[in-house]
Amino acid sequence: MKFYYFHLMPYIMDHDAPSSWVTLSNRHYDPGLGHTLYNQYLDQFEHAERLGWDGLCVNEHHQNCYGTMPSPNVVAAMLVRRTTKAKIAILGNGLPLRDNPLRVAEEIAMLDVVSGGRVISGFVRGISAEYFSTAVNPTHSRERFYEAAELILRAWTEEGPFPFDGRFYRYPYVNPWPRPLQKPHPPVWCPSQGSTETVEWAAKRHFPYLMVFTPIKRIAQIYGEYREACEGYGYKASRYQLTVNVPVVVAESDAKARELAQKHVMWVFNVGLRMHPPFWRPPGYMTEASLRRLLANPPTLPSELTFEQAERDGYLIYGSPATVRDKLRIFADELEAGILCTAMNGGSHERTLELMQLFAEEVMPHFREDAHVDETAGVGR
Amino acid sequence: MPASRELSIRGTPIHMLQEGRGPALLFLHGAGGAGRWLPFQERLAKTFSVYFPSHPGHGGSPAAEWIEHISDLAFHYLDVLDELGVERAHLVGASFGGWIAAEVATMASHRLASLVLIDPVGIRVDGWIYPFLFGMDIPEIVTTVFHNPMAALALAPPDQSIETLALQYRQGAALARVAWNPHLYDPLLRRRLGRIAAPTLLCWGAHDKVAPLAPCGETWAREIPGARLRVFADSGHVPHLEEPDAAADAVSEFCRLRGGAG
Repeated sequence: MKFYYFHLMPYIMDHDAPSSWVTLSNRHYDPGLGHTLYNQYLDQFEHAERLGWDGLCVNEHHQNCYGTMPSPNVVAAMLVRRTTKAKIAILGNGLPLRDNPLRVAEEIAMLDVVSGGRVISGFVRGISAEYFSTAVNPTHSRERFYEAAELILRAWTEEGPFPFDGRFYRYPYVNPWPRPLQKPHPPVWCPSQGSTETVEWAAKRHFPYLMVFTPIKRIAQIYGEYREACEGYGYKASRYQLTVNVPVVVAESDAKARELAQKHVMWVFNVGLRMHPPFWRPPGYMTEASLRRLLANPPTLPSELTFEQAERDGYLIYGSPATVRDKLRIFADELEAGILCTAMNGGSHERTLELMQLFAEEVMPHFREDAHVDETAGVGR
Repeated sequence: MPASRELSIRGTPIHMLQEGRGPALLFLHGAGGAGRWLPFQERLAKTFSVYFPSHPGHGGSPAAEWIEHISDLAFHYLDVLDELGVERAHLVGASFGGWIAAEVATMASHRLASLVLIDPVGIRVDGWIYPFLFGMDIPEIVTTVFHNPMAALALAPPDQSIETLALQYRQGAALARVAWNPHLYDPLLRRRLGRIAAPTLLCWGAHDKVAPLAPCGETWAREIPGARLRVFADSGHVPHLEEPDAAADAVSEFCRLRGGAG
């Protein structure tokens, strides 16, 4: 199994506002504290590479305290020059949120060339709340996503200049310099919530599918649908096409890990993902078929998730190294996920570095049968 | 009870309520108002032949993927008049429906015996930004739209079934397709209002918090040549729901004096 360090770069705080997204006033943001946090988080990324993590993941979210990375490419740019081996996975750029998606093709190519071909390019639609922060019409989301993805892939693989004439994006000259180093282009990943349409789209193109913060039963279900879709397209999905992001808390004992998980992981769900209800469901973001599936089996709102339910439904993993190893076996052996993305949070920077080391020394070595494999070979393109 | 009709307008299926005898009056509803035959319509139907279609994607009319701009809806309603065989109609639109009606009037005033706009949105008004309705939950919407929140009960959903929630989502999506950004207006409409040649009545709730009388109502009154402005003292954004009898009487009185609909 491959291990990727996935940081949200949260601005951890308590507040009574109805939403941590879109409307939580930025008067709460202290840039002096932000300076310390950004630099600690970047140190954690660099530490992860030294400890043997295979990849470093950054992501895009806007106007919230859950994750302060409105530009994932900026953070990736800081990492490519401070690391030498780890993959830099941008999970991802919110394509429909851009009025000029060619800029994504350019920036990813820059990062790929500078890093010597270590970049993984996630394509996402952006979660519901982003459509309130960017004012992009959510009823255009899906179509803009497909169109921008097509444009970027063509920009990376076809000799320019060529014209592009879409419904939302039109260019008389597509001819970005630089071109990416990886051929035919950097691997593309699809982080998603499991909509049928995206599963199909990713499977058709051999793009790895990443499930984020999802109960384990649903991961199993969506992995099944993805594998089936791949078979429908005439191939067997590689395990490195099945990626999972699950919060992992490892500590010296189960009790210590439980305490950390209750406090820090549950902050992510209960506070970080607290959202004014309309921000969860912008009109037209989902197809009506997806909406009906959701309504027939409504998921628990993260803000209402209890620790007991999170534990029972497999939203998180915590425990001593031995316990975490056992729980991870389910992901590695039963779900056959090839890549595990997770961050660590010990409550302080120093403690976080200790937990990272504990995980790297006591857990990761037990899952290294595939140490010689390049997980990006032949997938994602 | 009004008759319920299914029509096909250039291949787009719609649902329409219809009642009354007399000159033709086409009513264009606002967000959430589809298919709600209420005292306002009932009273108008005593004097007019009232046609009350649901916009595509609203009420009983299925979503129409081809609609991507407010002018698509305006052309759609010119097609509706053709389909009904109505050469000239009194056109009455409320809120979002008022926006569509104003677009129609800038295109084809000659099809209108008169134009009545009830607290319309649709133009960019200096000094005003429409509150972002898509970011509001139901209680916030009710207090923003209604001066008298009890009047909102008339629009309350019958239940919280999947069918009802899916319908609300479909209506929200149909509205968002044309009204998310720019929110609730067409940047080109205001400078075209001067083209409106139909006699125009503006009905405005004194307490409108979506599009307040000052500056919104006053701007409309300035931009449409010869428009009359009638203010409803006990209403917010929806006088036809909050003061239905007075609103219907004002519409009847104005339209009756301006004949030629049929």
